[in-house]
Amino acid sequence: MQRSPFTLLLGLVVAFDLVFLAVPTLVVVVISFTSGNMVAFPPEGFSLRWYGVLLTRPEFLAALGRSLQVGLVCTALAIPAGTLAALALARWRIRYPTGLQLYLLLPFTVPLVVSGIALMLLFGRMGMLGQVWPVGLAACVINLPFMIWAVAASVNHLDPDLENAAMNCGAPPTHTFFTVTLPAVAPGILTGALVMFILAVNEFLVSLMLVDARIVTLPVLVYNAIRNIITPDLAAVSVVYLLIAVIAIWLLDRLVGLGILLESKRS
Amino acid sequence: MKPRGTVPSAPPAEEQSAPARTLGLRLLDGLEGVRATLFPRGAGGLTPWLFLLPALLLTFLLVAGIVPLLDTSLRQLDRATFRPGEDWTLANFHTLWERPVYTWLAARTMGAALVVTVLSLLLALPYAWLMVRTPRPWLKKLLLVSLFLPFFIGQVVRAYGWLVVLGNQGLANAVLGWLGLPPVTILYTLPGVVLGLVQYMLPFAVLMLAPAFTAVPEEIELASGSLGASPARTFRHIVLPLVRPGLVAAAVVVFTLTLTDFAMPAIMGGGRNDFIANAIYDAFFSLSDPGLGSALAILLTLAGTTIAGIMLALFGLGTLGYVRRG
Repeated sequence: MQRSPFTLLLGLVVAFDLVFLAVPTLVVVVISFTSGNMVAFPPEGFSLRWYGVLLTRPEFLAALGRSLQVGLVCTALAIPAGTLAALALARWRIRYPTGLQLYLLLPFTVPLVVSGIALMLLFGRMGMLGQVWPVGLAACVINLPFMIWAVAASVNHLDPDLENAAMNCGAPPTHTFFTVTLPAVAPGILTGALVMFILAVNEFLVSLMLVDARIVTLPVLVYNAIRNIITPDLAAVSVVYLLIAVIAIWLLDRLVGLGILLESKRS
Repeated sequence: MKPRGTVPSAPPAEEQSAPARTLGLRLLDGLEGVRATLFPRGAGGLTPWLFLLPALLLTFLLVAGIVPLLDTSLRQLDRATFRPGEDWTLANFHTLWERPVYTWLAARTMGAALVVTVLSLLLALPYAWLMVRTPRPWLKKLLLVSLFLPFFIGQVVRAYGWLVVLGNQGLANAVLGWLGLPPVTILYTLPGVVLGLVQYMLPFAVLMLAPAFTAVPEEIELASGSLGASPARTFRHIVLPLVRPGLVAAAVVVFTLTLTDFAMPAIMGGGRNDFIANAIYDAFFSLSDPGLGSALAILLTLAGTTIAGIMLALFGLGTLGYVRRG
């Protein structure tokens, strides 16, 4: 497009967006290195003391460990459930496709606060509360559509003739599935698994209702701490989350390329 | 010519030297044996449903949790015993309808959701367009990474960032102080909540819009330009109508996510700018009135699904659907 006042305006909006998206994160990184006791600008000096505080306070490490556990449980459940569902939806003509899709989109149309309370009451009746793994199960339930989307996007790249060829050559269905189908949709599975893991590690509202004081996850710990006084130790926690996000994005870019998410779903 | 792959039975597993491969094949043979025992003639028309079963069951947990909420919403709390009533009544819904505090709550939440949706879309449109169209790889990468970094960091951590920026000792007021300007109080006000929400929703909006932009061939824009239309006219009359499915999807997602948000009003609203979700939480955990909380929860679920349903009925599943057509 040629240069004009309009394209300049678009450019300015994008520049604003970039600053708007980055400012809170960058500011938190700066504050995490302060040597003062307070969150203040300019920071009082450079130190790593707040990272040291994280390592000496066992509740932070325990909460981080539980959040990683939640992420692993969620991903382990989502990979088979999401992959199989996406294959079924994209490959076979199923009756009532719209109704089925709306049902599977329920985790997104039901408000998170309602999902949280509903699962809390359900898990309570089943005697599952007070443990960490149900939080992972809940995170999987509420984010499952992301996994199905990710895999469905890469079923596009799978030529059904490849599977037919494998069968023609004598491969039984199970062999075909594991040696032809799965490797072909692997990029989608990887993308979905990463996204599910990150979302589960960050999952807050449903965790808030499913955990008690003994098994708080990291986002709940941060939330409880914010309500009192804002200290720089939380900035260091935020940087831990930033690092997890950076690693995930780097992995995603290396494995499948970030551009995969720009692809049109209607092609 | 080697007759590779033409022998239907007895795969030459023993000939392959790598032991891992043999083990893998044996494992597959085992799985195939299980499958053949369970479904000797194939599962036929059941196969897709077997594939869907785990996802259907996981989603069913949600349904199984929500149905009892319906029952609870129809029972009024007995103030004498603090137990839910014996008989079904619409008293909880009546309470919600009658008390002005809940009318205000709904109005505040809806109004904020509308403002957040409009602002997010306005900010997201140029971003998504540039991200899809730019010929410069570094710029595309910068835009993608800037989008995903906040997307992958949860709401609580991002709200903490805003507390640091907007707090009394925060960056914003420090900058204003250096400039000799009086401090501003955005934190713990409704505009503060909206600010935090727009920043949270921006990546969602861009990610819903970007595929729609990708689907518009760049040649159409170039053709419009070469026929003498200014970039503004091309954008208004060519690009915007073509990305409408993406716009609808983005609007639905941002509106319903904002309508049901909890963390931003809780953290950045300071308890005085609650949304419906906060009131539901309080009804359950502060007022200990699960009937009232359930009634509010049912209404919020209905509002969210109805809005999404109407938009989807009018414009189709758009970029929200799992199944591609055409």
